[in-house]
Amino acid sequence: MMLSRRVLSKEEETETTDNEVTKEDQEKINEFSRLHSRSKVIEEELEGKKKEKEDLEEVTTELELADEDELVRYRIGDTFTHLPLPTAQKLLEESGTEVDSEVSRLEDEISSMKEQMDALKAHLYARFGRGINLEG
Amino acid sequence: MERDQKRLQELSEALQKFQDDLQSAIDARQRLESQQAENKAVQKEFNGLDEDADIYRLVGPVLLKQDKSEAKSTVDGRLDFIGKEITRTETRIKDIQQSSEKSRMEMMQLQQKMQLAQGPG
Repeated sequence: MMLSRRVLSKEEETETTDNEVTKEDQEKINEFSRLHSRSKVIEEELEGKKKEKEDLEEVTTELELADEDELVRYRIGDTFTHLPLPTAQKLLEESGTEVDSEVSRLEDEISSMKEQMDALKAHLYARFGRGINLEG
Repeated sequence: MERDQKRLQELSEALQKFQDDLQSAIDARQRLESQQAENKAVQKEFNGLDEDADIYRLVGPVLLKQDKSEAKSTVDGRLDFIGKEITRTETRIKDIQQSSEKSRMEMMQLQQKMQLAQGPG
């Protein structure tokens, strides 16, 4: 025999509750906001680093076809210098490794922030349901 | 009366959207104009080069020698594209301005109508 009573879903319950925002809630909201802004900044940085890696790969490939005797015009800081091909290739390799580790670092940071944001979201949605929008 | 209110709301929202669209179209045109100026400067430099001068492109930290005619035609092609995009954007700007003006007129007329309907006093 089916029960005639129905338990409210968590969603319906929080929808109809007029929840007051506690200090803890506010702190969590602020923290979410901070993480969200910061993750956007880091994502942009990551895009930049990925482009850098692409350029390094492109130039490495180009130089493989280069004349061994011709010097490579290489930029170091704000200056340009002529370098022998093997030297330039070595520098490019070192730069590539450096960029790879920076990409890795940034990706880890974003990953960790997403985890924290997901945890905050779970808590805040449980508290306020449709009363709060944490998307975008 | 209520239908007028609703229409007023719709028009107000439409005008806001036109404003936003207009702003983004204007920003786009500005970006294009800046790209155009840059590419024109490059084209000018290319045209002033000696026969034996080389053209290099910076990729990462390295200046790679470019095929001269390829480099020139790339810049020419870019300028061509940018020119077309600017024209397209300016057309879009005009269209938005026209539509916006139409809505604004309708809104004004509606507001007048509603004011008159309320009567004096």
